[in-house]
Amino acid sequence: MTATQSLLVVLFAPLLSAVVIAFFCRQRHGLAAAISVSASAAIFIFSLLAVAAAGSDTVHVTTDWLSFGDFEINKGFFFDSVSKTMLLMVTFVGFLIHVFSLGYMAKDPARGRYFGGLSIFMFSMLGIVLADNLIMIFVFWELVGFSSYMLIGHYFNTKKAAAAAKKAFIVNRIGDLGFVVGIAYAYWHFGTTDLEVMGQIVGADSSMVNLTIAALLMCGFIGKSAQFPLHVWLPDAMAGPTPVSALIHAATMVAAGGYFLIRIVYLFPDGLLTFIAWLGVFGAIYAGFCAFARRDIKQILAYSTLSQLGYISAAFGLGYPGVALFHLVTHAFFKALLFLAAGSVIHGCHHEQDIFKMGGLLKKMPITGITFFIGILALCGVYGLSGFYSKDAILIAGGFENVPIAIFLTFGALLTAGYMGRLFWVAFLGQPNSEAASHAKESPLTMVVPLIVLAVLSIIGGWIGFWPEQLGGSIKADLDLLHYTDGYDAMHNRIVIFGTAAWVIGLLGAFLFYGKGAKRDRLEKIAAPVYGFLESRLWFDEVYNYYVAKIQQRFALFLSFLDVFVIKGIFVRGSAGLVGLVGTCSRSLHDGNLHSYVYWFLAGLILLWVAASGLL
Amino acid sequence: MTVGLNAFILLAGLLFAIGLLGVILRKNTLVIYMSLELMLNAVNLALVAFSRYNGTMDGNLFVFFIITVAAAEVALGLAIIVALFRLRQTVMVDELTSLSR
Repeated sequence: MTATQSLLVVLFAPLLSAVVIAFFCRQRHGLAAAISVSASAAIFIFSLLAVAAAGSDTVHVTTDWLSFGDFEINKGFFFDSVSKTMLLMVTFVGFLIHVFSLGYMAKDPARGRYFGGLSIFMFSMLGIVLADNLIMIFVFWELVGFSSYMLIGHYFNTKKAAAAAKKAFIVNRIGDLGFVVGIAYAYWHFGTTDLEVMGQIVGADSSMVNLTIAALLMCGFIGKSAQFPLHVWLPDAMAGPTPVSALIHAATMVAAGGYFLIRIVYLFPDGLLTFIAWLGVFGAIYAGFCAFARRDIKQILAYSTLSQLGYISAAFGLGYPGVALFHLVTHAFFKALLFLAAGSVIHGCHHEQDIFKMGGLLKKMPITGITFFIGILALCGVYGLSGFYSKDAILIAGGFENVPIAIFLTFGALLTAGYMGRLFWVAFLGQPNSEAASHAKESPLTMVVPLIVLAVLSIIGGWIGFWPEQLGGSIKADLDLLHYTDGYDAMHNRIVIFGTAAWVIGLLGAFLFYGKGAKRDRLEKIAAPVYGFLESRLWFDEVYNYYVAKIQQRFALFLSFLDVFVIKGIFVRGSAGLVGLVGTCSRSLHDGNLHSYVYWFLAGLILLWVAASGLL
Repeated sequence: MTVGLNAFILLAGLLFAIGLLGVILRKNTLVIYMSLELMLNAVNLALVAFSRYNGTMDGNLFVFFIITVAAAEVALGLAIIVALFRLRQTVMVDELTSLSR
């Protein structure tokens, strides 16, 4: 089997699964789950086959899709080392999350729809990973938006989930507007949207790099990866089922934005890269602070995701897309682990999500607790775990390229350790703080096994030297580039010391400040204004609400007035009324009486005569 | 004594006016029809008179055409009136208003 054939199977197996479930299995929940999980297993196996068949070559196949005159759209696969790495990460994490869902969603009355949604999500996501041109990426990009909408809104009968789904969809559309304009501009500028060909054009003539195109395409990234200022949808998206949060809002979909940037890195001029780096730094710090004032376990993890996405874009902006990809992959492992473990906790505590009502869970749910702690250590960048290697590389890159960014990101690591420590100490240690928590018990095997596998990956996932040689080419190249820079050893030591100090201080500080299994947030107790300020999240939602409800709504009302009164009232109704009036008048002449016709005839004759004789 | 052109034109005008008034005022389709013929013939008379006093044959020629066409028209028109009567049992125009809106 060639790599292309395997990739076709990889792409279409989940689509087939989704279609079968949508048409035949919406009520047969067990069958739907079986189909979806086996499809996800199949795509992982075929991804392995595809990587094995491709070896270390780049596979690029492309065929016509549509053509209108000179305008052509292609469809095809661009399977290089970046997409190989991403493909294996997405399919493997996706498979584990499917398995986890078997246990987590076991009692859900709409499992069929849920698993169908997971399959269509996998299809869309794999389309983005494999696509070889911007238009195809955009098509799958929108499909990802749709499936995310469907899955966030799984509990659509709760108002919160329905609103969150709508919010995610609409906020993403704002970014996508820039994206689609950017694609059109790129087509006009380069004459193609093929990723490889655009790369060759830019490589041959670096003056073809265009700031506007890059900035427009970046809008898509900002929406999908929940970067400031379009980050508001991600915390709300936690209204979906927890495995969905793990799959979409931690491991894959939000990573798609970063992946997309890595694919088109050659289009970015230096100034914009620096902008993206600072955007990421701001997001990392901002989300870090916000996480301190959240009580919902999933929302804390959501802000942690925002913060880590900030690290990814900072790495990208510093000019090391390989390092960004590295952090994207390791983050996918430990963040999927953290979310799934949180799902296990929520499942065990009968859907209690407030960490101050948990407490003492480590004894009740030992496997979940330990794997969760491993995830936290990986996230904090403890030496030897996956998060350490990628975060270390980002900080070193910052140390070489832009010292303030490195300092801010180290501070961000301190925040990360702080809020994750708060989460762990409060929820897992001490005594149970509620009825639900005291009855918690360890989750079933389908949920625990994915946790263990992900915990192992969170530990070893960063050992890049042990990765197969087909994978992570650009990661290794960027790491080597860092490694052979002058002063690497000194910088490395400095970063390790500061990074380790950051997580030690963060975790210990949280332990001393919040204490074991606290019932109340101590920060709220002793410094309510600070807590309130953090809880308000800089009032972004309020500002957007004000903008939409007051400014945009009034503008819309004004436009509606123009539409109703001027266009509809005067132009449309007015012209129709005039014609109708003429019609009514002339129809009254038509009375069927021969004699009146004769009079009209005579009158017309006289009129003609008068006109002809020049009297008129 | 020679009858002058004016007398012919006056007579033709009178005949035409009678015909026109007939068309306007009478209600019976047959009578309206006869009045129409009267108007045609008034025009014929005027044409012949002009032709005579101009010493050319143009007017006479025209009259022959008009008589021919009128004969055909009468055949057609009378047939329509007969068919109308068979259908509606009346030929009075104030009762034939089914084409009104």
